[in-house]
Amino acid sequence: MNKALNRTLQDLVRLAAEEYGSKTFIREKAGKDISERSFADLYSDSRRIASYIAEKFGGERIHAAVIGPTSYAYLAAYFGTVINGCVTVPLDAQLACEDICELMTRADVSAFFYDKRYEPMIEAVRAACPEIKAFICLQECEACDTTLGDITAKYPEAELKQLDGSMLASIVYTSGTTGKAKGVMLAHGNLIDNVNCQDNESSPEDVLLTVLPIHHVYCFTCDILLSLRYGATVCVNDSMMRITMNLKLFQPTIILLVPMIAETIYKQIMGAAKAKQLPPAAVARSVFGENLKGIFSGGAYLAPELVNGYLELGIPIAQGYGMTECSPRISTASFDDISTKGDVGKIVNGCDVKIVDGEIVVHSGSVMQGYYKYPEATAEALDSDGWLHTGDLGYVGDDRRLFITGRKKNLIILSNGENVSPEELENKFAAVDLAAEVLVYAEDGVITAEVFPNADECSDLAEAGAKLNEIIKEINLTLPSSKTIRRLRVRDREFDKTPSRKIKRAQEHKGNIV
Amino acid sequence: MFEQIKEFICNYVEVDADAITSESRFIEDLGFNSYDFMSMLGEIEQELDVQVNEDDIMKLATVGDAVKYFETLKK
Repeated sequence: MNKALNRTLQDLVRLAAEEYGSKTFIREKAGKDISERSFADLYSDSRRIASYIAEKFGGERIHAAVIGPTSYAYLAAYFGTVINGCVTVPLDAQLACEDICELMTRADVSAFFYDKRYEPMIEAVRAACPEIKAFICLQECEACDTTLGDITAKYPEAELKQLDGSMLASIVYTSGTTGKAKGVMLAHGNLIDNVNCQDNESSPEDVLLTVLPIHHVYCFTCDILLSLRYGATVCVNDSMMRITMNLKLFQPTIILLVPMIAETIYKQIMGAAKAKQLPPAAVARSVFGENLKGIFSGGAYLAPELVNGYLELGIPIAQGYGMTECSPRISTASFDDISTKGDVGKIVNGCDVKIVDGEIVVHSGSVMQGYYKYPEATAEALDSDGWLHTGDLGYVGDDRRLFITGRKKNLIILSNGENVSPEELENKFAAVDLAAEVLVYAEDGVITAEVFPNADECSDLAEAGAKLNEIIKEINLTLPSSKTIRRLRVRDREFDKTPSRKIKRAQEHKGNIV
Repeated sequence: MFEQIKEFICNYVEVDADAITSESRFIEDLGFNSYDFMSMLGEIEQELDVQVNEDDIMKLATVGDAVKYFETLKK
């Protein structure tokens, strides 16, 4: 694809259709069959959806939310929104109804594309978000107002307006360090800069198995947008439960993972090799298939031991680093240049990195426009010259290799790549009288709440622990499973405080696990 | 079913089979992470030739919950 012509998401979808046409863009399970849609289908259906939006909203540049697992319909809704200048708001499919409503209200959403499984909550969404004027179910559904199938059958392909790279394309929510999710504003040009920053990363012969949540920019850019640029085929993993069988079914050449999945599959391979007395590399081939060229890992830090372990299995695992605010890639690696030195890859082309007081600060065409309607947070993250403060500490080694040494900001990064704000979880205890003080942190990869109980409510620590465990069960019901509190520690003394009476995050004394 | 699920558990996490009870919690007590838990459910699903509904997974906190769930699916 001619990079010079690729400046917006509209260009990307159009050029992909022109260049790869009827070639299969996406392959997904449909009952017992596999359904396939081409690059040309995506361009055509996106324009039909754009026609519907233009008619329904009189050509206004609306914001449309989209929620659901990865599917052709999801992507058609996404591109149908952005292809003619509207703004998409991809939402986390694990969120509770009230959180979905809150984020849509904050993002000024007026159309909602949803997977059929959300149909039972639509009445509640209508009541909570009266400004939403269009509800579109992504699948066939008799009880629904409108379905995507109705739209693509009825509407013609829209004549497209000329878009500009500086136009806002997407508002992507990410965990804020103060507990309030922040809407990262990514322009067409930001996402395209990240797609174009490297070359020869893939080809039309490649087959990807997409397993990560589609609302994450890491998955969206690297699985979907790069496949559009290079003409690769994307196969949809229909459930985290079925990765192993889908690897066998689709025989991918490339797969993007987060460290937790990479590590678990590695352990399974080594366990099976030991139990069956087979060479681990042979087991790895039977798990990943014969076609796999390598794995990309991102979202969280990957231990060099695991990189080495995979290399011994004959599988290169390339680690990258980035953040939603940078569309997301800041550094990446390639399969023929795997480093085991503990770096997170080489800084991508066109991205400038400087280290300020130990913090990695970046400047590139991929850096966001700011946080939606949140100027205080924007001013903290972006300086007046547009440099993005990542909140990560590190340094640049030889050959533009980037090393991460720690975190400046207070955010839990789990090995599944999820970012969790401790304050957001601590705030859930605000109305719990039994909890005098609470600190949330990750311990052994598990989200842990440490509580100093209020002696006026319960003076017996064991009893307080039992009651707190029940309260945590209730709190967990309001949280996506990736953010649930899995461990409770109860302490017998107050937390150490800073002079301004804030709890010190690093505590030497720890309470007992209950 | 309990014995069958115990066998699957032992293939995924290092735990003494005799220590597994109906009350054992997958994540807190047996040391599963969210991915190997999902992966095990996928394997059980295939082995028993049933269809697990993803919305039900959150309800499977203990070994007893999983035994009951798969018994119901098998009926």
